[in-house]
Amino acid sequence: MTACVEIKNLYKTYHRRKWLFGAGEAVEVLKDVTLSLPENRVLGLVGESGCGKSTLCKVLLGIEKPTSGTVVVQGQDVPQATKAQLKKMRRVMQVIYQDPYGSLDPRMTVRQLLSEPLDIHKLYLNKNERNKFLEELVQSVGLSPEHLNRYPHEFSGGQRQRISIARALALDPRVLVADEPVSALDISVQAQILNLLRDIKRTRKLTILFVTHDFAVARFLCDDIAVMYQGRIMEKAPAEQLLAHPQHPYTQTLLSAVPEVGKSLASEPEEKAIGSSAGMGCPFAPRCAKATDVCRQQIPTLLETSPGHWCACACLTQGEKNDLKS
Amino acid sequence: MSISPVLQVEDLRIDFQNDAQSLPVLRGLSYSLPAGKVLAVVGESGSGKTVHALSLLRLLPAAGRISGGKILYKGKDLLTLSGKELRQVRGQKIAMIFQDPAASLNPVLTIGDQLCETLQAHRKLTKEQARKEAVKLLEKVGIADAEKRIAEYPFQFSGGMCQRVMIAMALALSPDILIADEPTTALDVTIQAQIIRLIKELQQREKMAVIFITHNLALASQVADEVLVLYGGMCMEQAPAKELFSQPKHPYTQGLLASLASLKTRSERLPAIAGQPPLPGEIMIGCPFVPRCPHAKEKCRQSLPSLTKRGEHAVRCFREDKP
Ligand SMILES: Nc1ncnc2c1ncn2[C@@H]1O[C@H](COP(=O)(O)OP(=O)(O)OP(=O)(O)O)[C@@H](O)[C@H]1O
Ligand SMILES: Nc1ncnc2c1ncn2[C@@H]1O[C@H](COP(=O)(O)OP(=O)(O)O)[C@@H](O)[C@H]1O
Ligand code: SF4
Ligand code: SF4
Ligand SMILES: [Mg+2]
Ligand SMILES: [Mg+2]
Repeated sequence: MTACVEIKNLYKTYHRRKWLFGAGEAVEVLKDVTLSLPENRVLGLVGESGCGKSTLCKVLLGIEKPTSGTVVVQGQDVPQATKAQLKKMRRVMQVIYQDPYGSLDPRMTVRQLLSEPLDIHKLYLNKNERNKFLEELVQSVGLSPEHLNRYPHEFSGGQRQRISIARALALDPRVLVADEPVSALDISVQAQILNLLRDIKRTRKLTILFVTHDFAVARFLCDDIAVMYQGRIMEKAPAEQLLAHPQHPYTQTLLSAVPEVGKSLASEPEEKAIGSSAGMGCPFAPRCAKATDVCRQQIPTLLETSPGHWCACACLTQGEKNDLKS
Repeated sequence: MSISPVLQVEDLRIDFQNDAQSLPVLRGLSYSLPAGKVLAVVGESGSGKTVHALSLLRLLPAAGRISGGKILYKGKDLLTLSGKELRQVRGQKIAMIFQDPAASLNPVLTIGDQLCETLQAHRKLTKEQARKEAVKLLEKVGIADAEKRIAEYPFQFSGGMCQRVMIAMALALSPDILIADEPTTALDVTIQAQIIRLIKELQQREKMAVIFITHNLALASQVADEVLVLYGGMCMEQAPAKELFSQPKHPYTQGLLASLASLKTRSERLPAIAGQPPLPGEIMIGCPFVPRCPHAKEKCRQSLPSLTKRGEHAVRCFREDKP
């Protein structure tokens, strides 16, 4: 498997002011993130809100510059790219956002919205070819050619998300970054869009970074899953492996709390009060029932515990694997 | 159920005034809530969940109007109460918590000030008594170090802690009914589970009835005694939670449950419901689910099925009418 996207030791620090006139406070949002996306696979990035998922997407897309570390997409170093190189990158890598309302210009028809990327890259300039292409494009996302002349406000949330997907596919990219693309949709519409994404992945042989906070959705769509906590990757494994045998205490806590029909309410985990500081060590230590002094002193490194399964937990690397796999 | 209802809603109708039109958003909702039970109201965005909840406290926005029906709290119609009587019910007897806990708290007042204000507005308490009571309440909702944290501001609290504070405020006056409108949507699953456990525990200990509004079926299955499924401003199905989830009868409920991605198995395709939910106020003569229903017949287009009850299970679908 060749890596299509290679992210190495990525750090991102924002400077945030607590009060209007206060001094800037440095917030480390991404810490030592290393991930690679093999071609034609979907990597699910799961984590609680604010853990850094969207920031990682922005750095990957070249919208934000990392503080340090490298991002390489199909041979192109993204943070180092010039404006012209970034423009070229857009043909390779596209994005779908969570909010199907905010991400489409309300004054443009669907035809104009979908033509814009083609104009920028001077593609399908012949009128007939352009029309034919656009008709096929909207059909591939489950809309019909009549929809081309309508405005975004005439569509429902699910249909708007289809338009966003069509727009992302217009340039026939190799990589798709999808930042919680179904979270804002009605529950009865989510399944339609998830099916569509799955079809697209197959027919177009796409490599997808799929951000979600829903493990069930990740299981349906993703080949691999990475779990992020406070800007760090805690665990990464093939989806089935991670869900069947979660190794990291944080992943285990998350999975046991996912509500499911027919499953009774998760009992009180052996989790400690939230809010206390992690200090120097493992970010999960303040909430972890298995934390020891070692955990508080040193940040555990992400290590391969079994083939393809990566985990950052002091317990595991000290050879205490078995009592964690409860 | 033998327990007498603390709240009875009868044929509640709500319209919204939009430009020159009046759009029906709640089209005749009826249910009764027994004391100490949890009723989950489940529905998609725009189905009328929040509007229904706000109307119970007569807190509808200006464009909204209750155009029919009754809301009986212990037999007394809330729609006929005077402003003063209503204020007594609101907060003291029926309390509400919202989706975004941080936005419901005043950012420039300490947690303690806000709790004391609520307490003193309804009960004759000195400042010191109110403070003591506030600390007790915070402890009750599981905030460690309450004595110290009471002096902190909302921004110093996490989302889950803010929601705990909101619950503490709602409980301050020992209400009979707690309305919780998507109280955990803004929170993460682990914190969500904590808040749900807290609500369940308080409901059982204080014998409080809860109206739990959510779009999350799995969550509803875990908290509720009874579940009511809203679609296009109408109840499509209502049943005890266990029964509704094990034997859903309405095609919409069946479709929703089937379309959920599962944590346990990986499917090739999700059996999605086609089409979109109805637009707000969309005029429908027949069954609102017609355009999406795999079983729709001509009859469904022409007339509205009624909500038919068999045992404890009520369904609005012509397929159920057949013997
Ligand atoms: N202030 C308002 N003016 C006009 N229409 C409104 C107003 N508030 C709500 N509505 C309409 O009433 C209907 C029901 O809205 P409601 O907020 O109850 O939905 P909901 O079920 O709570 O949805 P959500 O899951 O998005 O919270 C919607 O169609 C909405 O457009
Ligand atoms: N432009 C910014 N300036 C300062 N802080 C930011 C900025 N963008 C994001 N953050 C902070 O970075 C953290 C991670 O944010 P984000 O990547 O959006 O999280 P997620 O997508 O996982 O919910 C949050 O604490 C957020 O407040
Ligand atoms: S390193 Fe220690 S604190 Fe961190 S998850 Fe592992 S056991 Fe828990
Ligand atoms: S009444 Fe007809 S359209 Fe409505 S749910 Fe039943 S079968 Fe479907
Ligand atoms: Mg995000
Ligand atoms: Mg609502």
